[in-house]
Amino acid sequence: MKIKFICCEIFYREACTVISRSPNLIDVEFLPKRLHDLGGVKMAERLRQVIDAVDESAYDAIVLGYGLCNNGTLGLQARTIPLVIPRAHDCITVFLGGRKRYQDYFEENPGVYFKTTGWIERGEMAGGLSQFPLPDQLGLGASYEELVKKYGEENAQYLYDKIGDLTPHYRKCAFIEMGIEPNREFEDIARQCAIQHGWVFEKLEGDLSLMQALVDGEWINDDRFCVARPGQRLAAEYQGDIFQLEESSS
Amino acid sequence: MADLNALRQAVINGDHTSARRITEEALGENTDPLQIVTGCLVPAMDEVGRLFEEEEYFIPEMLLAARAMKESMELIRPRLTATGAPSSGRAVIGAAKGDLHDIGKNLVASMLEGAGFDVHDLGVDVPPEKYVEAVKTVKPHLVCISTLLTTTMPALKKTIDAIDAAGLRDSVKIMVGGAPVTQQFADEIGADGYGENARSAVQKARELTARGAA
Repeated sequence: MKIKFICCEIFYREACTVISRSPNLIDVEFLPKRLHDLGGVKMAERLRQVIDAVDESAYDAIVLGYGLCNNGTLGLQARTIPLVIPRAHDCITVFLGGRKRYQDYFEENPGVYFKTTGWIERGEMAGGLSQFPLPDQLGLGASYEELVKKYGEENAQYLYDKIGDLTPHYRKCAFIEMGIEPNREFEDIARQCAIQHGWVFEKLEGDLSLMQALVDGEWINDDRFCVARPGQRLAAEYQGDIFQLEESSS
Repeated sequence: MADLNALRQAVINGDHTSARRITEEALGENTDPLQIVTGCLVPAMDEVGRLFEEEEYFIPEMLLAARAMKESMELIRPRLTATGAPSSGRAVIGAAKGDLHDIGKNLVASMLEGAGFDVHDLGVDVPPEKYVEAVKTVKPHLVCISTLLTTTMPALKKTIDAIDAAGLRDSVKIMVGGAPVTQQFADEIGADGYGENARSAVQKARELTARGAA
């Protein structure tokens, strides 16, 4: 099978690993993590442009290395070949191997800041903003110095207390070890992050099986994936399935 | 005479020092406290909301304006209570269970206060049973639930269902909001209203509570 894999760079190392192990011929295109900072509508628009640019006659399917990503994949449509996406809220679901495990973990541990190789080496932004789907334009994530310059010392202090830390209620930093790390450097950075914030550190065992199945084409009758057939588009389902399909009117 | 126009402008500019000073002057001159709220603070926060929608203001400007408004309100509130002036209504607000993000929720809470609501903030990661408890004790006209993550969107429905199961659904209007929430989702889970941003949340709150009172 020939597959076009459009993938967030947050999965760079994992994607390269599963591609190397796949029987399929896979062309991968990585897109910047910053797409998430555009907000759902603009992110989906950008993904649509990338999908539209694919020569579909050369492939059997397009697979997306994305999840719901704060509604950033809604409305994406299969044109002449299937469009496949894992049923995942976000990349953490994929790193953990599935939505059930993520949901269970999340319910037990609401305030967790996750780290992986991608989260450490790809597109980090000031103030830890990168984990959140908040647009830059909201004016968040500015440094104290920037706030002073713009609003004066007294106001800056007030604002810094309010928005300087976007994770005031977080309690834990979890490093998801995918088994592809070259050394301990990434884990050490995650441990440092926990110490810096006064959070508990936890190491979780990652699971590449969801991403492997995604590129291996094992989607049929598999509830881990949502497969849009030509003419169908992705819609959200917030009660557990994460995605549902809509027939496209156009 | 205290310059109420300057008070309005001070709130819009996020100048809490001037806002406090002019409010003190106005109250010292026995200006009707309700008039300061409805003629000054409410339109000021409306304007701030408009500037945010127009992308002239961002969250820092909103927060500074909200602080100025709140400091003015703190001075006015005892007078309002003394004169028996009606509030716009009581609102209970919180971030849904599992959600620990409160910048947006805090902004909506501030804007609601600026619109004359008596706001009870339950904080973040609020389980459904805590909302139910608050509905029983605070007897709010309005319950507002927020979430930043799609992961915690099911908690919005669970909260509404819990209020329903406790037999309290008819006693309150429920609003939902937060980055991933849409009008369609609000409809699906049986919420009464949805605010796309802080300003529209306040408009909806007014609409719902006015209808509720009618």
